[in-house]
Amino acid sequence: MTINAHPELPDFDYVRPATLMEASQFLAQHAGEARPLCGGTDIFVRMRDGLWHDRYLVDVKKLDGTANLACDAAGLTIGAGVSMNRVIAEAAVRQNYPLLAEACCSVASHQLRTRATIVGNLCNASPAGDTIGACLVLGGRLRVHGTDGFREIPLEGFFTGPGKNTLRPGDIVTAIHFAPLPAHSAGTYIKLGRNTWSDLSIVGLTAFGYPDETAASGYRFKIAMASVAPTPLLAHKAQDFLAENPPNLQSFDQAARLASAACSPIDDVRSSARYRKLMVYQLTKKALQQTWEKLTR
Amino acid sequence: MALHHITLTVNGEFEQVDVPSQMTLLQMLRDKLALTGTKNGCNAGECGACTVMVDGEAVNSCMVLAVECQGANVVTVEGLAKDGVLDPVQQAIINHGGVQCGFCTPGMLISARALLNRNPEPSEDDIRAALVGNLCRCTGYVRIIEAVQEAAKRQKALN
Amino acid sequence: MIRMEETMTPNQPATSVPHPIGDSVTRVDAKEKVIGAALFSDDLQFGPGLLYARIKRSPHPHALIKRIDTSKAQALPGVKAVVTGESFPGMTGLYLQDRHIFCRDRVRYVGDPVAGVAAVSEAIAEQAVELIEVEYEPLQGVFDPEFGATSEAPVLHPDLGKYKVQNFIFPKPGTNISNHFRIRKGDVDAAWSQCAAIVEHSYRIPHIQHVPIEPHVAVAKVDENGKVTLWGTSQSPFAQRNLIAIALGISQSDVEVIAPYVGGGFGCKAGVSMEALAVAVASKTKGKPVKLRLTREEEFYTAFVRQGMVAHFKMGCDAQGRLLAMQNRFYWDGGAYTEYGVNITRASGYSSSGPYDVPNVKTDSFCVYTNHPVGGPMRGFGMPEMHTGLEQCIDELALAIEMDPVQFRRINCVQGGDTLVTGMTMHPTGLSECLDKAAKAIDWGRKVAPSAPNKRRGKGIAAMWKAPAMSPNASSSAKVALNEDGTVTVSVGGQDIGQGSFTIAAQMAAAALGVPIDWVRVATPLDTNYSPYEWQTVASRLTWSMGNAVAAAARDARQQILELVAKAWNEKIEDLDIVDGNVISYKSEETISLKNIAIYGLPLPNDQGWIGGPVLGRGNFMPTYVTGLNAETGQGPRAVVHYTTGVQAVEVEVDLDTGKVQVLRGVGAFDVGKAINPEMVKAQMEGGFVQGMSTALFESLQLKEGVLQNPSFVDYRIATTSDVPMDIQSIIVEVPQDDGPWGARGVGEHSMVPTVAAIANAIYDAIGIRVGAPPYSAEKVYLAMVDAGLVKEMEG
Repeated sequence: MTINAHPELPDFDYVRPATLMEASQFLAQHAGEARPLCGGTDIFVRMRDGLWHDRYLVDVKKLDGTANLACDAAGLTIGAGVSMNRVIAEAAVRQNYPLLAEACCSVASHQLRTRATIVGNLCNASPAGDTIGACLVLGGRLRVHGTDGFREIPLEGFFTGPGKNTLRPGDIVTAIHFAPLPAHSAGTYIKLGRNTWSDLSIVGLTAFGYPDETAASGYRFKIAMASVAPTPLLAHKAQDFLAENPPNLQSFDQAARLASAACSPIDDVRSSARYRKLMVYQLTKKALQQTWEKLTR
Repeated sequence: MALHHITLTVNGEFEQVDVPSQMTLLQMLRDKLALTGTKNGCNAGECGACTVMVDGEAVNSCMVLAVECQGANVVTVEGLAKDGVLDPVQQAIINHGGVQCGFCTPGMLISARALLNRNPEPSEDDIRAALVGNLCRCTGYVRIIEAVQEAAKRQKALN
Repeated sequence: MIRMEETMTPNQPATSVPHPIGDSVTRVDAKEKVIGAALFSDDLQFGPGLLYARIKRSPHPHALIKRIDTSKAQALPGVKAVVTGESFPGMTGLYLQDRHIFCRDRVRYVGDPVAGVAAVSEAIAEQAVELIEVEYEPLQGVFDPEFGATSEAPVLHPDLGKYKVQNFIFPKPGTNISNHFRIRKGDVDAAWSQCAAIVEHSYRIPHIQHVPIEPHVAVAKVDENGKVTLWGTSQSPFAQRNLIAIALGISQSDVEVIAPYVGGGFGCKAGVSMEALAVAVASKTKGKPVKLRLTREEEFYTAFVRQGMVAHFKMGCDAQGRLLAMQNRFYWDGGAYTEYGVNITRASGYSSSGPYDVPNVKTDSFCVYTNHPVGGPMRGFGMPEMHTGLEQCIDELALAIEMDPVQFRRINCVQGGDTLVTGMTMHPTGLSECLDKAAKAIDWGRKVAPSAPNKRRGKGIAAMWKAPAMSPNASSSAKVALNEDGTVTVSVGGQDIGQGSFTIAAQMAAAALGVPIDWVRVATPLDTNYSPYEWQTVASRLTWSMGNAVAAAARDARQQILELVAKAWNEKIEDLDIVDGNVISYKSEETISLKNIAIYGLPLPNDQGWIGGPVLGRGNFMPTYVTGLNAETGQGPRAVVHYTTGVQAVEVEVDLDTGKVQVLRGVGAFDVGKAINPEMVKAQMEGGFVQGMSTALFESLQLKEGVLQNPSFVDYRIATTSDVPMDIQSIIVEVPQDDGPWGARGVGEHSMVPTVAAIANAIYDAIGIRVGAPPYSAEKVYLAMVDAGLVKEMEG
């Protein structure tokens, strides 16, 4: 609860190292009192609310390629410093990864998207994160630079609790990378907020599907749910069901029930657990139907 | 904590300012440069009253550190009119009665100008989306949306 | 009483209205606002001597203060003053003085001010506040007004009997009831047996907040002589001057309040709230000015809020649909201090029949202290809260006798000559016309198919009325001065909070004087040292009350000019006129421009001297006819000055899959007497509709044991551009107000009053379910549909 919000930001030092290694070392040396800064849209709010007290904010927006956005035969790589508006504006993203652009468009406002980044959204690890579902279902992998250099990690398992991830002191996520998607894939993101647009999600439902002859049904679907569990959640049982059963309204309905059963929402100031569970069912059905329509157009 | 010496362009004018790390662009504009047209409505990136353009893009200036604006080109509401001639969005919002208390107006105008710069023929939904981060409590928005539609038409006619 | 004919110039037919009355002139402050030059309170510059204040606030909803230790705060470098309630024994309050500037022995809501700090920077002041140590003894809290009204509840204001109170407010000392207003009209108990249908419903209306986009700001300076200067976000500079002077025990003439442009008020910047804190802190900083800003979070729970309400309605009609009886019990959750809110209790009481002719009415309206944020004036002053339930009951009653809801209202709506709930005789009103026009505009009775198979479409209508709620002698004054070049400077004490009052002041002065609108300026900012007195900018009273004063001042100036020229030309005043800034004689056809004569006068022939001098017109207006009401029955000859009536209708769609309610279009029709500036009147109608819609769909202050769970925009949502329909139609109806300038009365609040009820009635039309009290969130509607069996909850 933000009832103790201060008028302005607390004192801190803004630090801009010249290289990733400098940044990782600085972060590791000042573990517990330093934090990487991308768009700042989550950090500034929490600092003003008195929840985070970092002494150093380390700007990683333009370090060794973190400002780069590249889409080619090798896939899509979005640097940590790339704003969501820039992702949306990139024709290659809209063409080849439209679900990602759709998810970005749902975030907050145009002004916030000028600053907010997908990597920031992921690292913030809010179960409500709008772009997290798309990144999960599209198989995004994080490029991380730590004190011992680069490594790549899958998104599954990255989120360990509300606002918690597996990063260690010194780690900087430098980019998210997506391999080229299967041909003829399609996806949908449905976000239920209080306002028609903008707002945080009460429930966010991402569905993604593509033809796959290794699946008994001939198709694989991925379903990611936001705001209904301590972390962003994939609906594994529903996904498995759709791999086994032919895609039609009944199987979408059953998958939606399984997704609803898999989530564990809470009552909070935004909504109730009861409503959220029911909406997971409704939105999963809708998202699967819309995805199916796109696949079979 | 140390101050950062930054240089930037604001409304076409060169400025140099010494800013602490935690000073936002909003604070710098209002308190250091006395450009009080940009307003503080929430200081949390929600209301849009602080919207300015940085390097051509609309942004909540309360969510940007001043130190991050080294070398940037910033435009505020004070920089919209040119040589005393109102920007089409300014004239249109007056014509349509889209100004009441005027507190959300600077942010609205910047968001509208930034929209028309990147999308000169916006649909009604494009306008709603561009302004969804600018809260207004007085007008009910309809006249503001209509004003942006008129400004787009006027611009098109002038070009 | 000012008659319309007095505002006309001779030789003109009485029905013609002079320009620019009725013209939609561009607002006078538009350009300043769009170029960012308009100065709001936080924009004022005070130089390097400015100090900054922050406030130590109670974390408990109800507690005794055992000990306050400010020593660590005082020792912090950069701190210039630390104050507590010990130094300020005075009490403040508009209708009931129940509030100290800083708490002295106890705190009564989360956020109640306990101490204040002034420092060289806001950041240091904030640090200092955290160093102040306060020891509390928590007490049992009161969080429900019905409970608060019982004898089991702890008494929050044991000294209620000692508070100064205006004679039309009736507190019950020894209880939490700070006002009990009664209506006893006719014989309700006997009437029920005559009713063919009776409807009984209760509604729990949540607290909401005004959410002006500009949070409160105050800058105060107290010089060595004890003279106070206060700059701030104010709807009511004179009320602030008065209440602060009383609280400090000083003369009103030693308090100067300066009010720059206001970024939205809706009532929260009326009366006195945080301004007194700034003045108190400044009294210890040896003449240095002190700025206090509320954060947005503080705005949500430490500024005025709109009180919650528990309303019990019972109403009945005969088989022909005539309303026979209404019985109302209102419990207002007034919050920790009800100095202002007590009048909401009264205003809802004297309007408790709604805009209907009802022969038998019994109302008990209670203002109850609770340990909740402070309830204050918000647009509608009790009317939105009351109409939300009342207008739904009216619909239910209509349906109970199988009558169309519009027809039901047609039969019962109040008309000129009716005896109202207080015994007052209703003046002519266009409510029926509003009803007919609104119903027509929304295509009432015509069902349109929903836009998709999973949607349901419905229409709803609601009527309203409201009188300006104020002291019986609330007054206005105005000055009109002419300048060398013939331009006119109008001085008023009424604040433009966005509604356009400066613009219509200019229009009225131009019309009554006879000059082009471009010649008229309004002197701003308001300054109690120089501006003429205005009670407050509330109650939708400026157009009518301030307007009368402006017109009177302009006529006074006109009279002075005509007397001068008549003497100089040796003509009769009746043959002279002022048209387009020129004095003309209809007899001799002489003409002279106002330029130069308004200051310097006119020379006598043969260089024999001068006559005239600076023209300064003055005018004031105060209603003289408002009477008291009997304390037991609420009856009296004239409860209020007048009523503005109106109707709103909406068309909505409900999504069966999510419960989301979308307002497709809206219509409002209001009787404004005379639209001085029609476009600005329509802008009020639209803005109020959207604000009402926002409260209907999104808004509530979620209070749990006195603690606000959603004190920020993240979780207190208001309507955005994505939520509004483009199709909002505003219809102006004009049945003149006998003592309004050119027949005008106010409309600023009224467009927010019936909206929630109209939407609730439309939801019922769409899905056949009464969803209860707002906000009608998607969740509330969806779960109501599930529980009613309209949609299937998924099994398993």
